[in-house]
Amino acid sequence: MSKIFTLFMCAMLLMLQLNAQNRTITGKITDADGKPVSGASVQVKGAKQGVSADDQGAFSISVNSSAKILVISAIGLLPQEIRIGTGSVINATLAPGDKSLDEVVVVGYQAVKKKDLNGAVSVISSKELAQKPISNFTQLLQGKSTGLQVVGASGQPGTSGFLRIRGTGSINASSEPLIMIDGIAVTSTAFALINPNDIENVTVLKDASSAAIYGSRAGNGVIVVTTKSGKAGVAQIRYSFQRGFVSLQELPNVRLMDSKEKLQWEYEAGITNPIIDSMISNRKAQGVFPATATLFNLAADQRLALWDLTTSRGAGDWRNYYLQNASTESHEVSISGATDKMKYFFSVNKLDEVGLVYKSNRNRIGARLNMEYKALDWLTTGVNVSTAYAREYQNRELFNSQAPWTGYFLTNPYEPVYLPNGTYNLTFQGFSPLEGQDFNTFYNNNLSTFATGFVEGKFFKHLAIKSLVALNYNTLLSESYLQPGSNLAAILGYNSKSDAGNQDLQLVYTNTATWNQTFKSKHNISLLAGQEFSKRNFYSYALEGRGFPTASVNTIDNASLAQRATTSRSQFSIISYFGSAAYDFDKKYGVKLSGRRDGSSRFGINNRFANFWAVSGWWNAKNENFMSKVSFLSDLKVRGSIGTAGNVPNQFYGSLGTYALNAAYNNLPAAIPAQIANPDLTWEKNKNWDLGVDFGFLENRITGTFDYYNRVTNDLLYPQPVSLATGFASVLSNIGTLKNSGFEIGLSGDIFRQKDFKWNVSVSYTNNTNKVTSLISDDVPSTGTSRLKIGQPLNTYFLVRWAGINPANGKNQYYKADNSITETYSASDAVLLEGKTPLAKYFGSVNSNVTFKQFDLSLQFYYTGGNYTYNNQYQNNLADGGGASVGLRPQYTAAFDYWHKAGDISQFPSLNDPTQKQNLTTTKYLEKADYVTLRDIVLSYNLSDAIAKRIKLSGVRFYVQGTNLWLKTKFHGLPEIGVSNRENGTPVQPGLNNLYAYPSSKAVTVGLDIRF
Amino acid sequence: MKKFLCLIALSAVFASCKKAELDLQPFNQIETASAFTTQTDVTLAINGMYNGLRTNANANANSYVNGTWNIIADVMADNVIVSSLGRQSLTFFGDWRYNADNTFNFFQTGYTIIRRANAILENIEAFPAGAFKDNTKGEALAIRAMVYLDMVRTYSKTFENASATDSTMAYITTTDAKILPSKESVKGFYNKVISDLTTALPLIGANNGVGRFNKTVVSGLLSRAYLYTGDFANCITAANAALGTTPVLPNIADFPKIWTDDTNNGVLFKVLNTVLDNVNTQGVNYFQIVGGLIKSEYVVEYNLNKKYLSNDVRTSSYIQTSLFNGVLQNHIVKYRSRSGAGVAGVVDAKVLRTAEVLLNRAEAYQRSGSDLNALADLNLLKANRYTGFINIVGLAGPALLAEILAERRLELAFESDRFWDLKRRNQPVVRDPNFGDRADGTGVKYIFTNLAAGDYRFQLPYPSTEVNFNKAFTQNPGY
Repeated sequence: MSKIFTLFMCAMLLMLQLNAQNRTITGKITDADGKPVSGASVQVKGAKQGVSADDQGAFSISVNSSAKILVISAIGLLPQEIRIGTGSVINATLAPGDKSLDEVVVVGYQAVKKKDLNGAVSVISSKELAQKPISNFTQLLQGKSTGLQVVGASGQPGTSGFLRIRGTGSINASSEPLIMIDGIAVTSTAFALINPNDIENVTVLKDASSAAIYGSRAGNGVIVVTTKSGKAGVAQIRYSFQRGFVSLQELPNVRLMDSKEKLQWEYEAGITNPIIDSMISNRKAQGVFPATATLFNLAADQRLALWDLTTSRGAGDWRNYYLQNASTESHEVSISGATDKMKYFFSVNKLDEVGLVYKSNRNRIGARLNMEYKALDWLTTGVNVSTAYAREYQNRELFNSQAPWTGYFLTNPYEPVYLPNGTYNLTFQGFSPLEGQDFNTFYNNNLSTFATGFVEGKFFKHLAIKSLVALNYNTLLSESYLQPGSNLAAILGYNSKSDAGNQDLQLVYTNTATWNQTFKSKHNISLLAGQEFSKRNFYSYALEGRGFPTASVNTIDNASLAQRATTSRSQFSIISYFGSAAYDFDKKYGVKLSGRRDGSSRFGINNRFANFWAVSGWWNAKNENFMSKVSFLSDLKVRGSIGTAGNVPNQFYGSLGTYALNAAYNNLPAAIPAQIANPDLTWEKNKNWDLGVDFGFLENRITGTFDYYNRVTNDLLYPQPVSLATGFASVLSNIGTLKNSGFEIGLSGDIFRQKDFKWNVSVSYTNNTNKVTSLISDDVPSTGTSRLKIGQPLNTYFLVRWAGINPANGKNQYYKADNSITETYSASDAVLLEGKTPLAKYFGSVNSNVTFKQFDLSLQFYYTGGNYTYNNQYQNNLADGGGASVGLRPQYTAAFDYWHKAGDISQFPSLNDPTQKQNLTTTKYLEKADYVTLRDIVLSYNLSDAIAKRIKLSGVRFYVQGTNLWLKTKFHGLPEIGVSNRENGTPVQPGLNNLYAYPSSKAVTVGLDIRF
Repeated sequence: MKKFLCLIALSAVFASCKKAELDLQPFNQIETASAFTTQTDVTLAINGMYNGLRTNANANANSYVNGTWNIIADVMADNVIVSSLGRQSLTFFGDWRYNADNTFNFFQTGYTIIRRANAILENIEAFPAGAFKDNTKGEALAIRAMVYLDMVRTYSKTFENASATDSTMAYITTTDAKILPSKESVKGFYNKVISDLTTALPLIGANNGVGRFNKTVVSGLLSRAYLYTGDFANCITAANAALGTTPVLPNIADFPKIWTDDTNNGVLFKVLNTVLDNVNTQGVNYFQIVGGLIKSEYVVEYNLNKKYLSNDVRTSSYIQTSLFNGVLQNHIVKYRSRSGAGVAGVVDAKVLRTAEVLLNRAEAYQRSGSDLNALADLNLLKANRYTGFINIVGLAGPALLAEILAERRLELAFESDRFWDLKRRNQPVVRDPNFGDRADGTGVKYIFTNLAAGDYRFQLPYPSTEVNFNKAFTQNPGY
């Protein structure tokens, strides 16, 4: 490199002698830290040619007498103009650039500078995502963008959250946005394994103008993830370490009874438990108690003595057994940099998580290499390659005591952990979750490999043609071992090992051509045309063997009975053509058109292709001359867009009428009707418009953005009912309309902007209203407790209304459909509870960031509200009348609030009325799930440069971070609900009800970043 | 120029785009249009029809013979009481609290199986005449009739209690997916069941192997259908055809083997549930083994339990008195498992037994005035159940009928008969409020104790999905 440069210098010297009017200016370019800026560009203002600085930041340029100003620029730094005096040496120090504006983000197959974004787009920078003790990047997006709602599925390490951009847009197909990583759409497995620290930025595309070009899958918005690339400068080596101390997030507003409270409550309810029963019968046999003794006729001191003994033998707080000391620990090394020919980013990372629940853990290891090489002055090639592997121990998560967390709510504090012989006590549930976790193991092994390669050529100055091929390969292997000798094996009568897994290969080919040109320095045009083909191959298998001789072998070749060996395969493909054209006049006014034509194999032969389009326009008022005098206003942009995008069904072959052959009778093959044909099956179409304004006051001390949107989904993919007499329930069709509308506000203010003291506060608020506007038939059940009704939000609750406890007789009362009160429960009295749905009406965040000298303190509060959740978890631990089977479960202390005597106003009915011994589904347990939480608080200290230099490092940062340290809600239990429990499958509607899903954690994390 | 050539070469590697790439077919399914091309295809479809009986065609509502069918008619009647130590499964039915949104989902399951039969009947005509064609038609017609008979027993009044205007669901015989059927008369529906069975009888083969229908099965089903229609002469004729002139029942030693699938003696038709199929619903409906002990969902009702005498072979085959959580209960072990290394709850579904046909005939004889023949049948059954049994003599009239019905209850308890049988005879469900779920009669007692004869809840509600969608179809009265 330096050799070539020397040659070049020689040539320059020769030229000097030929052109005597020219003179040479030399100098050195450094950054604010005094480090040389290699590759910085030095140019005479107005000239076409310039020179680059060498590795030492030194440059030499020949200028003629007419030259007045040198322009010096470098990536990531603010350009500087320096007047050429009479001297021959000019040294320049480039200030750090306003990165947020110069930052390049990817929107619609094009890299765009953030300041040139003209749609409803939120950009989330790496700073907001990196170094958090949460391993799944989707959960990190919560509160980071207006319009994007993230609901954590559960507290299980590595779990992806539910993402909704501008409301829930589909009933039957997915409502999740399209997630693109480095240019290709990926599956949830792939993004569950991405290392959040590798992410450069995430853009959230909310309106049609930015999403339409992604076409058929962009109906629910698009999240574009761009991974890091090297920055100009010498190689930067970085080591990061993090250790988190994780504990259970306490359930607000509830407490389970302790041992003595529970025994007292059982006594009041007239319930006997087997432990006390056998104590009494032992004492009867020994002659200590008379033969007629029962719990209820013992003297009080005898009873209390029994209770004391029981309590002393009991486990006490079962959380000491069913939960464990949880932690996170990560190590990461990255090396990145760029020269004028090459950019590179390399990272390896390792994350070990120990989950809250007994035995739960997850280990992830991954590596990434992103490289870009300028092979010729017109040709650039590059690859992004990453691989990650995760292995996790998953606890069972279902509504019985095979699941440890459920077990906590099913095992009384007076029940012992171990039997006298040292084995696990199976408890009243007949199953010890501890034994279950020890001997019925479940491991998931995920591998995700991701590779993209591209070549880009530049022609005629303005034309760039890029070809990209991407490959995403994921494998899953789940191993579930029901060990010989385990309790569950005894219950089922067999032991077994199941290996199930899949291979998921996705290939994408994308070709784009872009033309960017400026005419007369005022007219800017940008044209894009492209074509894409993607295909996904999914292969899965399930193997099971039974009859293992011993638990110490666990591969299926050791099974004496081969139980099952199945495989299945499915595919889909999409062909697309897309393009866009944008024009602006002097950065004052602009318009943009974009369109896409998509064909998908998932649709009927009659309707396979669809067109999507968008039109948008903007006016940047601040760039108008007449506005330059309005000094308090530093930024004002008005924008609007309208357009369409699509959504595909979850089913790959939903349009075909078929017979399935994967059936058998008497172990002989069989054919069974599988589905009815619908050759007209087509896209779900989303049409939306958006009006927005971006503004800044007082040199952008105060900035903000406001958007109003209206999003209508037509041709909803919905199982159109057919008469059940056909032998089918439905055929997948395009029926119904759904509307989401709302507004989003983001405000940010710099309260202090001093060099040593900065304080920024920002708030965001999103309001969304969801409404079903047409359906095949009005008012149909969507789940057992909710319905779809025209004019109401999706999944509005449909329940019998509880009318309190009758103070006269202690019986539950209910409203009949005609609002009269009855003591007889009838499911036919259920009514639609207008406006009460699991959908949040509003959510947002409040952030504060204070920088004082080397310290930095940032806080994020997240809030959400307007949604209701059916609190199954609360219901299940309140016997609501003392039915014996529910009464033998642990109870919340609230259960003491039962009816004792006439005139009592209570929450629960008489404990001794047999007619009340039923735990019924009513509005009693439908609760508002509003909450505010301190999601994140980080205090960090950056070692001053002077000290860092002394210890020969470029930078050191220490930090302490708290996650979920504070929560306020009126909900009985944790209000953020995704899945009710994992083995119930993906919920029809996240947050519809809760049921012992993996609990949420809070954490204190310490970390260290060292840049060498 | 070189630049362009270079780029074209690269694009050739990267680009690939043909519309034919969008024509993708599933890997484990075939299009309906090509599902009945060969005789092998028909055989696959016949297996598919039986598969429907085993899987109930609807994994979420395992409601037919290999699912909850074997307990539902006992739960709704007076044979069982819910165990307070169980999971409280199906209490919705035991408490008669079902409604259109939450009903026994046999409606959809039944029609799913019927579609499989209808598809065969629609396509078999294209095949050449002969034994294969006849047998196929016979099987499809008879399975369709059996499922329809069980559906009409579930959702509608019985033939003898229905008026001419009482309606039931439609007897669908097509695979047309666009139909919106209205209802039809109960009596006409029963006649179609009998018509399908009598049409099937001459067509079907005498032996299709275990687990498939044959002539004897069709005759046995006819005896059931005629008993419901009160056509006692035909009931006797059909029963004679099914049982032979001198019926042979499994003896006392063989009887327990029926429930462990060690004999097919006495079983006219059962739906096979192989080790690979591994459906344990029949067993789990009643109990699971927890900590080596039986944890029941439902236990034998106290008064019924007393009727099972110690010399009755059924007592030990059906009932086990043992502790759970320190509580002694009468557990129902009829579907415990196969013998040997059998998996808990995995057994074949016994759908039609010779004992039922014999009881059908005994009742038909008695109600058509042949008390002697009726008593002979009763004695034959009892002789094969009670050790040291001495033939009853001289029993006649209503006392004889009562004895036959009492024996029917004991024989077919926990086998999906009781509720339908009470309904057939227009009797109420009367539960004893004095006894609970423990073996000694203490424990948690019935909350809901009486369902009057003729109560609308004897007819289960049709699912609201059908009533809401198909305006031509009306809900049963009362819901």
